[in-house]
Amino acid sequence: MALTFFSLGVTLQVALIDAGTSAGRALAASAVIFSATSQFAWLAVREGGGSDWAAVVAGWVVASRYGILTTSLVPRLPAGVARRALAALNAFDPNVAIAIQQPTASGVEREFWRTTAAMMLGWFSGITVGTVVGNVVGDTAQLGLDAVFPAALLAIIGNLLRTRDGFVAGLAGGLICLGLLPFVPAGLPIILSVFGAVLAVAPVRGRS
Amino acid sequence: MTMSVAVIVALVIGVWGQRLVGAFVLGPWLDRQPKLTRMAGLVPAAVVMAVIVQLTVAQGRTIEVDARLAGVAVAAVLVWRRAPFIVVVIAAAAVTAALRSLG
Repeated sequence: MALTFFSLGVTLQVALIDAGTSAGRALAASAVIFSATSQFAWLAVREGGGSDWAAVVAGWVVASRYGILTTSLVPRLPAGVARRALAALNAFDPNVAIAIQQPTASGVEREFWRTTAAMMLGWFSGITVGTVVGNVVGDTAQLGLDAVFPAALLAIIGNLLRTRDGFVAGLAGGLICLGLLPFVPAGLPIILSVFGAVLAVAPVRGRS
Repeated sequence: MTMSVAVIVALVIGVWGQRLVGAFVLGPWLDRQPKLTRMAGLVPAAVVMAVIVQLTVAQGRTIEVDARLAGVAVAAVLVWRRAPFIVVVIAAAAVTAALRSLG
């Protein structure tokens, strides 16, 4: 877990610095935003020629999954608004997935924070190393680093894509983006891809 | 392009705020909307895949297929085979870099 977040942190920093954000700014951004997928979404829209605000909206849409994750995590935690809010703010895909497998509320909380600690250790060391590497690495395309960014995202949603619904939603979202890309303003294909999730639910509803 | 302070603040609010909304507003409400809950759970698959498409086969607003696609395709197979994250990332870079050096 720590290793995954470490590599993700390195990857993101190299991408941000390569795109033209100063090393210090990139480090600060990753430390406070702490959401590689949102930052990659912002970057993808900006590199596609989209406006800053279209890029921010894309980042928000990608982060909407955290809101979904907390809906499954929070009811399983011990009571208390403060400790629930604190855990909710640290919800990520892996720590929630691992924590909610625990049978008791205290077990959920314990596993959650244990996984979170490992993730944070990996993330903060990763973005630090990535900031140094991003400053010295020369031609990122020559090293194949531009393929690393989408590959990392693929690994993040891998478990979801392995389910039937997740696969259909992913396929639909990808095709929506591919189809719209040449015709609408940059950023919009990514924002409109949320309808891929609607399409994934639609046929099943008709069958049942 | 640089991440402006306004962009960072906006992303911070969106990323952290949506967690609180999910925990204390959306959660209790979604409990009564099972279909919406299912759909909401699929949004990341759709949207992140769109970001992947943008980063893999596009250059700005034009479709452009190059060595990136091969690297990501290898990554897809590795993800499907449940390879560790670091293996996926290194393989994607290696395949893409190798193809480019071959010209």
